[in-house]
Amino acid sequence: MIQKNLYVDLEYCFGCRVCEVACKQENNIPVGVKRINVVTVGPRIAEGKLKTDFVPMRCRHCAKAPCIDACREGAISKRSDGIVLINPELCIGCMLCSEKCPFGAIQLNPETQAAEMCNLCFHRTDAGLEPACVHHCPADCMYFGNINDIMKIIRKKQSERMLEKETGL
Amino acid sequence: MEDKHIQIKVSRTICGACHCLCGVLVHVRNGHIIKIEGDPEHPQNEGIMCPRGLSYIQQIYHPDRIKYPMKRVGERGSGKWERISWSEALDTIAAKIRQAREEYGPESVGLMFCDGLRGNENWQFSFMHALESPMICGTDAHYCLRPQGNADMATFGLGNFISHCEGNGPQFEHSKCILIWGANHFQTELTAARRIIKGLKNGAKLIVADPRFTNLAAKADIWLQVRPATDTALALGMINYIIKHEIYDKKFVENYCFGFEQLKERAEQFPLRKVSDITWVPEEKICQAATMYATLKPASLDMFMGLSMHNNSMQALRAVDCLMALAGNIDIEGGNLIKTPKPVRMFHTSVEPATRLSQEKMAKAPGVNLWPMFYGYNATIDANSHPPSFFDMLLTGKPYKIKVLLNAADPVMGKQESKKVREAIKKADFFVTFDFFISPTASLADILLPAASYLEKDLVQGHAYVNHFGVTGKVIEPVGECRDEAEVFIELAERLGIEFALPMKSVKEFSDWQLKPSGKTFDEMRGEKVVSVPVSYKKYEEEGYRFPTPTGKIELYSKRFEQYGYDPLPYYEEPPCSPYSTPELFKKYPLILISGARILFFYHGAGRQIPWLRELCPDPAIEIHPETAEKLGISDGDWVWIETSQKEGRVKQKAELTLGIHPNVVHARSHWWFPERKDDPERGCMESNINAVMGSDPPYDPISGSTVVRGCLCKIYKVEEDNRL
Repeated sequence: MIQKNLYVDLEYCFGCRVCEVACKQENNIPVGVKRINVVTVGPRIAEGKLKTDFVPMRCRHCAKAPCIDACREGAISKRSDGIVLINPELCIGCMLCSEKCPFGAIQLNPETQAAEMCNLCFHRTDAGLEPACVHHCPADCMYFGNINDIMKIIRKKQSERMLEKETGL
Repeated sequence: MEDKHIQIKVSRTICGACHCLCGVLVHVRNGHIIKIEGDPEHPQNEGIMCPRGLSYIQQIYHPDRIKYPMKRVGERGSGKWERISWSEALDTIAAKIRQAREEYGPESVGLMFCDGLRGNENWQFSFMHALESPMICGTDAHYCLRPQGNADMATFGLGNFISHCEGNGPQFEHSKCILIWGANHFQTELTAARRIIKGLKNGAKLIVADPRFTNLAAKADIWLQVRPATDTALALGMINYIIKHEIYDKKFVENYCFGFEQLKERAEQFPLRKVSDITWVPEEKICQAATMYATLKPASLDMFMGLSMHNNSMQALRAVDCLMALAGNIDIEGGNLIKTPKPVRMFHTSVEPATRLSQEKMAKAPGVNLWPMFYGYNATIDANSHPPSFFDMLLTGKPYKIKVLLNAADPVMGKQESKKVREAIKKADFFVTFDFFISPTASLADILLPAASYLEKDLVQGHAYVNHFGVTGKVIEPVGECRDEAEVFIELAERLGIEFALPMKSVKEFSDWQLKPSGKTFDEMRGEKVVSVPVSYKKYEEEGYRFPTPTGKIELYSKRFEQYGYDPLPYYEEPPCSPYSTPELFKKYPLILISGARILFFYHGAGRQIPWLRELCPDPAIEIHPETAEKLGISDGDWVWIETSQKEGRVKQKAELTLGIHPNVVHARSHWWFPERKDDPERGCMESNINAVMGSDPPYDPISGSTVVRGCLCKIYKVEEDNRL
């Protein structure tokens, strides 16, 4: 199966949270609910230096998604391209899925009374567009696509970084 | 119910949510905006947007937006309004202006403006010049943007921001080293942030000089945690180091710079140990940063308001300009560029010299005589009045009594000594405000005018950005009766029977005049992509090129400053209140207070009523080092009172404990008010507003008149049951 997904290069994410607002506008998400949420870790001391990291937390569209098994209503499914979807018509808002999600990615939408999480903007991506967060990311550090293809880009980059570390260039 | 079958129309325009001027694609269905997204084909933003722009739809259709002209019906500031027609509003305003002008002279009419409306200020200026009143006050003139322009003018003869991204000066994306000083583009201008990130991806090293460990500093190779307001000493220390170790660009300095020996002599007074003692930056970090910036070529540099808001600010900016020149990073690819002129007449140019008020008349504006290079007729960039002096004038009625005050700014939130500013505004007999929302300043108005946003008006864009120009074209009909303020000034002028300084009779005619040198008309450019102007390098190598300074060279020793009687070389002055200059006071107020660092979600005082933005930053927060907090018994999330040595009173903010600030320094969020407090006509504007306890008294910067905003002294203590009110 193809696994479409989102990859974030954390080295360049600087915590602007544009992705959060882009997602809100695109998907009309009310206050209090976030399909994507950038968590700031730090400032903390790491290896004797001050360090802050920014981690955009969102649904990982797991290959073996625990939320699907947790749902007793059959409201969560996985498309053939790997996108995990919640059907708000079937969802009863029990949030069993959120208990099983290892990333805290699922919240209750107070307006629809259904579980809410990232759907990789499939209405855009099916039409050949990027998800709204990827489109608007100022650091250009978000990638959407077949995860194995994205990894080819990342491998190249990481190999360069690895050499840089070794040679101190 | 919206009819989903009605086709969506997508219009290309330029965002006006802040000064970045990003290209946007606006999706409209049945006259209603349903989405605003970044235009991938605009060279400024290449498709990206910021939270302010992405949530603008919530501003346009916000239930609290001012949609109709309104007049005050209760006491001033009581929050009671009544809707009136535009003709009643304009008739009333025109009558008040006519009366004031006839009885008290043209100087009795004043105008305040700032960033808020992102409109065409040319009309407001022209209107005031036509009235023959010099009482124009850009409320941030003494410390925003104009200091950069003036420092660059003194050094390079160019007042158009070679040293700042708003002029597209620094070409980050092609640099091997990027030095950012007193600025954080990651929280202000994402268009610049994008280019910094591109530079980092290409392998550039990053140096950040900032008292706070910002998200930009988090990406830095070297973070210089400078003591607030000691930047001049740090810059002179770096200059001394690169001269002493002969790692400056000798050939460039020899060919293109004036006053090297004098600068060298001045900088020799700043050896490493001394600089480290003054700035609290470790010696080895100063060496590393100086070496990195001077030897990794090309290097780009950007400085902003961290340097321009204290009484040694002009010399701080000048010192950094000199550092940039010594490293030879001028007008080279990946360095700091000299602008290529654009075939368009932009901001600051509308009041043509021939039709401006005379030097004598402009000198009547407050502060011009004290800071003659910076304000009035000789100003490099429009700066008519010294803002603190303008507010003094409002308050005292001396030398001129302002009877009618027109306003498109929010100085009650944005300016120091907020209470005094509020009282000063109340002294005007008649106060008119143009805004999107009833801000704390607007709440004092006699007449409120509903301003059109960028989506509801036509505007030529491109004043700040060197490489292109384009237009913001109206996308929807204005909500309610909102109007372009330019049209309003035209109508007011008609009612008053005054002739504009410009021959144009309409916004359209004016826009076409602005674009005329490019050979295009406004309608031709509406909805079209922007026009780019090619970048060029090393213009100074051309035969006969002279930098537009008195000596024709880059002036490390500024002849312009010398002519005005200022020190032509950068010098350091200890802040007026500090652990060293006032040790006794420091015992009572043992923390250095800085304020004003921007948050990406708000545009100065604006945006706190936008749900998607407020969600990202719900509270006013003061950053405190955990060690300091522990000593004071303060935990993360506690509300704390802040008192300063500058002004009486106190304000409260929420403690945010962070290792990213020095234990002796705190940073308080600025501009905080509570638009949601509908029962309070003032919207809690003095409760958490740090400017309410900051001063605007002398000492001022001798050149710009800047007040001491960076680095005053304060004390903080927990809000308890017995001191809650």
